[in-house]
Amino acid sequence: MTFTETISGLLPIAGPISDFIGGAVASLIIVSFLMSLVAVSGIWGKRKITAAFTDRIAVNRHGPFGLLIIVADAVRLLSKELIVPEGVDRPAWDLGPLVMASSALLGFAVIPMGTLFGLNLQVADPQAGLAYVFATASIASVGLVMAGYSSNNKYSMLGGLRAVAQNLAYEIPLVVTGVSVVLFAGSLQLSEIVAQQGQTLVSLGGVAIPSWYAFVNPFAFLLFMVANLAEVGRNPFDVPEAPTEIVAGWQTEYSSVYFVLCYLSEFIHIFLGGAIIATIFLGGPAGPFLPGFVWMVIKILAVYLFTQWARSAIPRVRIDQLIEIGWKGMLVLSFANLVLTAVIVGVIA
Amino acid sequence: MSNPWIAIGALAVVAVVIPVSMIAVSSLLRPSVPEQGKTTVYESGEIPTGDTRIQFNIQYYMIALLFVVFDIETVLIFPWTVIYNDAVSQFGMGSALLPMLAFIGVLVIGLAWAWRNGAVRWVSSDRARETTGGAQ
Repeated sequence: MTFTETISGLLPIAGPISDFIGGAVASLIIVSFLMSLVAVSGIWGKRKITAAFTDRIAVNRHGPFGLLIIVADAVRLLSKELIVPEGVDRPAWDLGPLVMASSALLGFAVIPMGTLFGLNLQVADPQAGLAYVFATASIASVGLVMAGYSSNNKYSMLGGLRAVAQNLAYEIPLVVTGVSVVLFAGSLQLSEIVAQQGQTLVSLGGVAIPSWYAFVNPFAFLLFMVANLAEVGRNPFDVPEAPTEIVAGWQTEYSSVYFVLCYLSEFIHIFLGGAIIATIFLGGPAGPFLPGFVWMVIKILAVYLFTQWARSAIPRVRIDQLIEIGWKGMLVLSFANLVLTAVIVGVIA
Repeated sequence: MSNPWIAIGALAVVAVVIPVSMIAVSSLLRPSVPEQGKTTVYESGEIPTGDTRIQFNIQYYMIALLFVVFDIETVLIFPWTVIYNDAVSQFGMGSALLPMLAFIGVLVIGLAWAWRNGAVRWVSSDRARETTGGAQ
């Protein structure tokens, strides 16, 4: 029973309208949680993590551990003046950040966030879940192109074009590698994929190791992690933004609330990537002792930490190198992985 | 069992309403001090030179064409992966795997051909080749 059904079951009416209200309430709760996760990790956590990597202290003056910087920054960013540069394409320039932020949130509709107090925190569970999640995750590049092209800025234009090149290079390896786990699971439904990973792989000294697909197929897991770094645009694949080359890439001309939306969408996108990795490779919300929801958040934050680590530790690749890595390396490897997985599944079955 | 796409539609509405409400809140809070020069396009503090909307060399044009082919192919792989497990147990591995191998094989040969003909690379412009002396 999904979160939506639980809530719509409480309503006195039944039918599509009650489903819609239930879905809206459920998604409001999930989206609010995501926004607060972004606020904590994007405003405060990111500074602390980068500071730890570079041996600094970072924010520590506002409240305990500098946590109140979150409130201060939220007010500061929202009350900044919005500067509209000359010659921007108005509807597209306004819609770009909106498309990015909304599409990143869309993917969370089908992610099984686990159970908390007996509630199954999943908004919807369609049969085509995995296909849907990959589809929504790539809408953001439309927003990037809109932002890059409409800004009337040369850096933005270059950033937008680079974003497209990056997506062309990494979309296919990402999806093909993600699909290779469906060969094991036999379903695109995310709850089913999670359930399949609950089986025991081996028992080591009385401890049952679950058959998480990261253990079953570590090669696919590795490929997916790398492709995901490119999908969310973090080092070594942050060429669309490349602060040391093209200022801020596609978001050069955005200020005030539009900057907030760009920033928000980037973080939601990282969390969506983390949620996809957790769901299809790390057993979703499964884990000992703690409630499933807590485990899911821990896994998402672990992937987030990995992206921040990569950001601090790995230098950026050039855009032409990125095309080479994507098309001559990752694409070939992802097809090899698909075929090998199919052969192994076929021999075992 | 209700239709899951109604709930997804509800989330889509929420996902649009929240950013829009953030824009609305910000428009109530923020000042507006229009000034000459503030709205100039950012070019590292210099006065902007020339127009942005020029004819620009899309250096990955051939790759974009390849992408369309491979993207459609990826969509066609999806249903095969879903039924693969059942198909192996019902019809055996040969008839479940070989057609897909042929399908992927055609595409891999296509990729190899494009690779050999130099389509799978970042095409540097004439000017970049002049300044770097043909490197890359």
